[in-house]
Amino acid sequence: MSPDNEKLLVVENLATTFSTAGGPLPAVGGVSFELMANETIGVVGESGSGKTVLTRTIMGLQQRTNVNVTGSVLLDGHQMVGASEQEKRAVWGTEVAMIFQDPMTSLNPVMRVGKQIDEALRVRLGMSRADAKVRAIELLELVGIPSPEHRYQSYPGQLSGGMRQRVVIAIALACSPKLLLADEPTTGLDVTIQAQILNLLDDLKERLHMSVILVTHDLGVVATRTSRIIVMYAGRIVEIGSTREVFSAHRMPYTRALLESSPKVTNDPHTRLVTIPGRPPNLLKLSDGCSFAPRCSFATDQCHKERPELQDADEPGHAFACWNPLPATRKRTVKTT
Amino acid sequence: MSNFSQMIAEEEIALVEKPEKSEPLGLLFWLCVGWIGLNIIGAIFANVLPLQNPQFQDYNALNVGPSLHHLFGTDDLGRDLFSRVVYGSRISLSVGAGSMLIGFGIGSPLGMLAAYRRGRFDTILTNLMYVFLAFPAIIATIAILSFWTPRSLIKIIVVIGVASIPLVYRVIRTATLNVATKDYIIAAKVQGATDRRILLRELLPNIAPIGISFLLIGVATVIALEGALAFLGLSVLPPTPSWGNMINESRTILQQNPWLAVFPSLAMCLFLLCLNFIGDRLRHHFDVTEVKL
Repeated sequence: MSPDNEKLLVVENLATTFSTAGGPLPAVGGVSFELMANETIGVVGESGSGKTVLTRTIMGLQQRTNVNVTGSVLLDGHQMVGASEQEKRAVWGTEVAMIFQDPMTSLNPVMRVGKQIDEALRVRLGMSRADAKVRAIELLELVGIPSPEHRYQSYPGQLSGGMRQRVVIAIALACSPKLLLADEPTTGLDVTIQAQILNLLDDLKERLHMSVILVTHDLGVVATRTSRIIVMYAGRIVEIGSTREVFSAHRMPYTRALLESSPKVTNDPHTRLVTIPGRPPNLLKLSDGCSFAPRCSFATDQCHKERPELQDADEPGHAFACWNPLPATRKRTVKTT
Repeated sequence: MSNFSQMIAEEEIALVEKPEKSEPLGLLFWLCVGWIGLNIIGAIFANVLPLQNPQFQDYNALNVGPSLHHLFGTDDLGRDLFSRVVYGSRISLSVGAGSMLIGFGIGSPLGMLAAYRRGRFDTILTNLMYVFLAFPAIIATIAILSFWTPRSLIKIIVVIGVASIPLVYRVIRTATLNVATKDYIIAAKVQGATDRRILLRELLPNIAPIGISFLLIGVATVIALEGALAFLGLSVLPPTPSWGNMINESRTILQQNPWLAVFPSLAMCLFLLCLNFIGDRLRHHFDVTEVKL
């Protein structure tokens, strides 16, 4: 258990580039951030903005070919970039664990769920069969599965989506990781179950003193459950700051566009949602300028020619990458027209 | 966790609850198992069982139809057809089992490894197998068996078995590829599972249904292939009977004594049919991936 002020994860200048037939594809570029122990950070962005590649890179899960990772991922003292399979195996499970998007595909359909939890306990912690079973049932109980002794014997096909995601979480928690990467953990679930799973994650994070990286494209998900937010666009961080700051005093036009494009309870009925014009850029043909420039209504010549670096905003820890930021006001209310 | 969500969770489970006892396999299944068992026992104990000598020629009873004395009748040399069919199953079953043992023993581990490891190993091996596949297996088998003399059962098994490797490899590799990219394989890996464990505990059970189905089809195909080779006179040498060469020999006197073709064909058909039915039923019975409501 680490004290709360300790840096658990330090990502520095991380870049993941795929070699494709069309040339190098920079899926993630120049990403730097830090994560404290027992902190939840949200990563938001459109589809294709590099969120999933970022989590997989932090995890050290790249294919062996066609990918080039540079920079540094220091996870509780372990360098994940360039680590061998053996070194990564030592970190996986006990230091970092991952929850996948779709609980329908992240459980082995022909293995009893109990065995799938056991597996981690026996391989990583060297528990005996009987001890592992006791612990697995405890874990099932921890993630809120009723009659866990009975469920231990179930196959994934006999469980609903929400139950499966609970099992997936139980597997991820088996070796008490310090960092949990949740890659859109609720995308495959319906809204009521989503809330249950997110509350469960929140609850477990507090009880087990974990840090969580919550990847999502749903701003509603991160709004109440994270302390900080990273906004990604075209593989880069375009804004980072405390959740309150990003929601109320964002400077980057893209963040505003994202916020405006989600529905709000306060909207009048039949309000049209604001959409961001254009499409996410083709990562193979990135310009030298800001990658959001072609879709941005504030874009100037400079935006098309030079890429803005992250610059600090007034509040410490809040930074944005923009040449023509929105004015720094307190309490910006998001308008939808 | 609130009580409310616990309640919802319990309700959810009740909805997808499946009866613990799965449906029985059915009478037809056990009849098929019985028939296959009978065939295997017959093949193993043919020379202990009270059968007539399949080589003994009774010139007083040429080409007679089925009777109490000769259950299936006799052939044009007066040999008892029933005992020849039973003895013939020895060759057919050994070819079926033996060559599939070779084909799957080599083809499936290679296929799984290639699909799991990918990279250069996979590229080289797969292309090599495709080269073999491009060459018609039956022609290769005929060519090799024509020149590899004297013919023996072992040689036939080896040639057919080796010829089946590329096909098995391709099916198993494709099935594994399909599974190996699933999230649960990555999930197992990031929980620290070793390659060996992933291959044996995660991948193998997932591709087993496809493997078993293909194995049973393979046994059937190979038994028929032995028949085809016998038809060309390339299987075991007469007078040793096999289902295939019995059908082959019957062809010249088909009009005088059709029983000669009927009984070995029937034996082969029934055996293959039972095998396929068993495979299908087993796959359905042990399928845990779909909820049976």
